[in-house]
Amino acid sequence: MTPEIQDVFQFVYKQAPFSELPEAAASYFSKHIEIVYLSQTNQQDWLQDGKPNLYLLRSGVVDLISAKDEVIGRMSEGDYFGYPSLLTGDAIQNHIEVQKDGLVYILNEQNFDFLRREYKSFEQYFVRAHANRLLSSRYKQQSETWSERKISELMTKDAVTIAPTASIRDAAKLMSQHRVSSIMVTEQARLVGVVTDRDLRNRVLAQDKDPSAPLAEIMTEKPKHIFENNRVFSALHLMLKHNIHHLPVLNEAYKPLGMLTSTDLLRQQKSDPVQLIGRIYKAQNLLAIKSCAQEIPDLLRQFSYHIEDISLIGKLLSGLTDALTSRLIYLYQQQHGAAPCRFAWICFGSQAREEQTLHSDQDNGLLLPDNISENDRSYFAALGAFVCEQLNECGIQSCPGNIMASNIDCRGTVAQWTAKFSNWILSPTPKAMLNCKIYFDMRFIDGASDLYATLRQSLDQISRNELFYAAMATDINANSVPIGIFQQFKLEKDKSKHKYLDLKKRGVAIINDVVRLYALKVGVARANTLERLEALTKSPLLAKSDIDNLKDCWRFLTQLRLKTQINHEGLPGNCINPENLSSLERHQLKEAFYLVKQAQQASAFKFARGSL
Amino acid sequence: MNWFSHSIAKWRYKHLPFAQAELVVLDLELTGLDPKRHEIVSAGWLPIKNMRIQVKDAQYHLNSEVRTLAQSPVFHGISSSRLAEGESLQTLLLALQRALHGKVLVCHNVQMDWAFLKAAFQRFELNVRPALLLDTMQIDKRRVLKQGYPLAQDALTLNACRMRYGLPPHQLHDALSDALATAELLLAQSQAICAGGKCKIADLT
Repeated sequence: MTPEIQDVFQFVYKQAPFSELPEAAASYFSKHIEIVYLSQTNQQDWLQDGKPNLYLLRSGVVDLISAKDEVIGRMSEGDYFGYPSLLTGDAIQNHIEVQKDGLVYILNEQNFDFLRREYKSFEQYFVRAHANRLLSSRYKQQSETWSERKISELMTKDAVTIAPTASIRDAAKLMSQHRVSSIMVTEQARLVGVVTDRDLRNRVLAQDKDPSAPLAEIMTEKPKHIFENNRVFSALHLMLKHNIHHLPVLNEAYKPLGMLTSTDLLRQQKSDPVQLIGRIYKAQNLLAIKSCAQEIPDLLRQFSYHIEDISLIGKLLSGLTDALTSRLIYLYQQQHGAAPCRFAWICFGSQAREEQTLHSDQDNGLLLPDNISENDRSYFAALGAFVCEQLNECGIQSCPGNIMASNIDCRGTVAQWTAKFSNWILSPTPKAMLNCKIYFDMRFIDGASDLYATLRQSLDQISRNELFYAAMATDINANSVPIGIFQQFKLEKDKSKHKYLDLKKRGVAIINDVVRLYALKVGVARANTLERLEALTKSPLLAKSDIDNLKDCWRFLTQLRLKTQINHEGLPGNCINPENLSSLERHQLKEAFYLVKQAQQASAFKFARGSL
Repeated sequence: MNWFSHSIAKWRYKHLPFAQAELVVLDLELTGLDPKRHEIVSAGWLPIKNMRIQVKDAQYHLNSEVRTLAQSPVFHGISSSRLAEGESLQTLLLALQRALHGKVLVCHNVQMDWAFLKAAFQRFELNVRPALLLDTMQIDKRRVLKQGYPLAQDALTLNACRMRYGLPPHQLHDALSDALATAELLLAQSQAICAGGKCKIADLT
């Protein structure tokens, strides 16, 4: 029998989880380890030696570094590492950098598994540690991936502003003094225009304009702008769409904060999907658009390996669909003449929520002005038919429910759309609830945004009675979460007896439904589920912790769902067989479903008065 | 093995990369400092393979046949009643023979421990030849002198040496704890003296 070394035992017994376990656990650990000395010269030999081990740091300081060279954490005496691979069976991704030489205790997989079997709380400790690391470090890093970062983090310069009455010469002097290539023109602290280097060249020098003329004569009025809290992705999208290089950044109160330039963004990591969006916006004919669209599936598959948060794929796919739609509308107008009146192209469902997947189909419509003539309507019938058909050819399949701008029912005036919505709200039949789920997730794509704003306003004015919310809550609760009272999975079977879990229908969709219900109640205008949740933090209706849990849960399920789409298992789309998951993923999936169930029940309690 | 082939084997061993050497790190508790008069009370040892201390193969033995403990329990804390739970010196030496033969013996002050072991092996007519003797105390003595520092008293105790490498302080418990403390010290020394696994045994002697 191996004798116990007191020094080792006493150290181990002080550490969690051994401090909470019988002495025998610490004793087993102390007797089955190997001890190595970590230094900068041998740091590459450990962790990455192919075999998963549990490492406990006895002394020294070590940084854990991800495959992307980001520091996950600094570890010192008493810290563990290496356990994620033991839990998940995945290959080791991280490596270490020794800051201060020291000793490390190594327990091999076989002995780790023994302790895991013998002591439930030993396993729980590491499962929880792993989950925490995923949530704290990974999601922290994810929000730092370039396109998800907020504009305010990129924008360094203070706003350089000038009055519209100032002379062109003064503006040029001020720009030169601040070494900026553009200037914001403000009146009573409100942005009224923008002047760039290019404007000075094209609109002043090239036209022999008097430099003492007021700036108002050459500025670009009502420039495109972005808010500090928007994501970088939105800024890129706006710049590419309108081919502009300077984007004024405003705060919520429309006060100018600074200028975001395309160079600022170029300094960020370049990304192929964004370049593809750029190419779509420049496509001169249908053929060019279609060849861009053909690249989408491969590009996403590749991109999904490069980004940490694969739920970002939903945003990118929606961005690509938006771009295709806009460009098709543009091309149609090039061929058949400009639209005879104002219109807005709107989208619903997953595209509106920016949660599209490769299997998502089209949900779109046209919003027209109330005074439109029959003759003009026929133009939009043709436009709708063209865009929907071409989108279908680009791989975004036609909607089986025919929610498409090619369908006359989906080409309505503001009054017609409002009537449609109020009909569903005032007589909440099950069929109406189904429509609400799709149509209430709505987003403006192209055309006249004020038309869309008018629709939103008139929708907000439809009074919603309690009956409507109760009907929605009842509808949500009709969908069961696949988890039993003893926390076991309830699986479905397909025709060939394969057992599976539907992550979309039984998980993500329920969260989307619950969040939509709260968002409607509070009056949140956004369609994206995470953004709705963010906006809901200001409402007393949901606790902050519930919101955070729902966000994490949504991310986890979405990620798992997209992963299964990418590595297809031969099951129906969005479905997985839990047996193919690692034990950690199974554990997390159960926790996630449990949370979904709680949120679902809470909505019934709050809105349906528990009348179920 | 004759002297000649032994010396060749020894030379070969010295030029072996440290990572490939099989080492046994040992500590003895004694009743005194004179191999002729004093006795071995206990022995603890652990192997190092591929630069990894094999705690799972550690051994600890008490000699139940100690005749006169005298004042020595002050240092090692082993009473005669605990000794009675031990085993015969021969059993201890046979276990050590299996572990040590042909390996590199590492001790903190190896001359002292080896003197006691050699005498005991001879008494029981056991042929035990370590491939080499390695001394963590001498390694540090040479390093300190090389750096031009005078050697203070107590500068070469196990804990003083460990402190130079930033190793955690070590409680003096028993022969096995001390053997582990010595093993950890040797790994730290080998890293400090040469770059990781490229170290040869010769660099440490």
